[in-house]
Amino acid sequence: MKLTIPYYLHKAGAGFPSPATDYIEEDIDLNIHLIKNVPATFIIRVQGKSMVDVGINDGDLLVVDKSLKPKNFSTVIANVHDELVVKSLVQERDKKFLTSGSKDFIDKILINEEEDIFIWGVVTYVIHSTY
Amino acid sequence: MSSILRTKKIALVDCNSFYVSCERLFNPKIRRKPVVVLSNNDGCIISRSNEAKALGIKMGEPYFKEKDIIIKNKVEVFSSNYSLYGDLSRRVMRTLKRFNTKIEVYSIDEAFLDLSNFPDQDIEKVGKEIRDTVLQWTGIPTSIGIAKTKTLSKIANHIAKKKQSGVTSLINIENIDPILEKIDINDVWGVGRQLTKFYNKNGIYNAKQLKNKSNSWIKKSSNVLSSRTAMELKGIPCINLETTTTKRKSCVVSRSFGKRVERFQELKEAVANYCLNASEKIRSESLVAKAITVFVRTSPFQRNYGYYSNAKTVDFPIATNNSIEIVKAAVTILETIFKNGYQYQKAGVMLTGLSNANEKTNLFSSEKDEKINKDEKINSLMKSIDSTNHRYGRSTLSVASAGVQKKWNMKREYSSKIDTADFYSLPMIRA
Repeated sequence: MKLTIPYYLHKAGAGFPSPATDYIEEDIDLNIHLIKNVPATFIIRVQGKSMVDVGINDGDLLVVDKSLKPKNFSTVIANVHDELVVKSLVQERDKKFLTSGSKDFIDKILINEEEDIFIWGVVTYVIHSTY
Repeated sequence: MSSILRTKKIALVDCNSFYVSCERLFNPKIRRKPVVVLSNNDGCIISRSNEAKALGIKMGEPYFKEKDIIIKNKVEVFSSNYSLYGDLSRRVMRTLKRFNTKIEVYSIDEAFLDLSNFPDQDIEKVGKEIRDTVLQWTGIPTSIGIAKTKTLSKIANHIAKKKQSGVTSLINIENIDPILEKIDINDVWGVGRQLTKFYNKNGIYNAKQLKNKSNSWIKKSSNVLSSRTAMELKGIPCINLETTTTKRKSCVVSRSFGKRVERFQELKEAVANYCLNASEKIRSESLVAKAITVFVRTSPFQRNYGYYSNAKTVDFPIATNNSIEIVKAAVTILETIFKNGYQYQKAGVMLTGLSNANEKTNLFSSEKDEKINKDEKINSLMKSIDSTNHRYGRSTLSVASAGVQKKWNMKREYSSKIDTADFYSLPMIRA
């Protein structure tokens, strides 16, 4: 993925606009900002609506970093009975669960490596088209 | 420097059933199933999961020969998806580079690392950490063999493959003879079929026997390469890590056709396309080619039809990387080697005698301004073709002889069609 956006040197703020506003310093490279660990980061596309309440819609792109340790309430890609799915991670005392992020889906799956339920990667960004 | 006093420690990192592991990454349903990956054109089996190996499916066998076992055991079959494998290979290699060691990328799924800077007693732990990191970051399982030489690290890797931990070090083992005794001589790195025959004739059947042969016998009876192998088995490094990417000497683009091709026109389009790919490739590396070879052949497995295979080479008057010149030369060759009435299955082009583009000089070309102007114009034309194709996808701009409909494109019946490096083929995950 290579995506760049022109970056204006001039900062928005009080006072007169700088005469150099139209001078473009360099491009913003979203790769640098959204992908911290290149070899471990995958872009995947979402299919389904079970995560709409956490802001993930059908067709959105997810930036997934496999090298990160998930935190409580992290959005994760998990292997559930040998299918990859998008879920939220919830920790309760010493147990970790996977849940959906939508009123229409109520589930709470206990993470258990032996039953083929484990975390595959951590979602770091959601890219959603609003236009 | 303390590093000089330290033992040389070379690790060979090898991805387990690499193409199969790539297919499994986004398709965990086949994590424990027997899986095979087929070569270009779904011809032969080129990668097998352990489960498939256990069924007796052999490496390199034509797909149709193993079809019965495959159907009976519900083996998962995939056409090769090289852009996915290439992307995951790059990820594995980039992960390995994080360990701040010298690295030689040996093939798509193997790399040698120089771990000499780590203390001897920690080496197994370092190997384990490398393996865990690659697995966590890229999802690709590897085996790591560590030893004093490249040849021994290959043997260590052999052993690591069979271990649960996936890591084997021979560094701290005093006497490795009992290990070498179990390694067949033809499994030793650099020992091919001919050498195996020769060694067998002289009573050498395993690595230990070669290691313990006297230097004078080896020098007397075989070539330099095999005496290097014997030294390396003794733990004396003779083959260095090739860390600087040496510029390639040749560039081959060849493919099997999805269907049999009979007409000259279709064959010509295929060959012209291979020329475009090959010339783009050498341009991207700032190289020029001295000569071009074109080859064609029919299928060796089709008994009812006659077998025909031919190749021819021509030299360019001036070394070039110009698509138009290269296509022109290739078509001329093809006209001389094409025979009517055959069903062609494979064709290819090879650019040879590659050298740096800026060293390109010629008695005549440098003197004539007109010629230089023309060269510059063509160079900038080639550059804009490459950048347009880079931006809008391969074959947006092309040479007319490459044709527009590609009937002969590769057969990829069972492709997973996922590409982690292509925006339009990203893996889908359910939410």
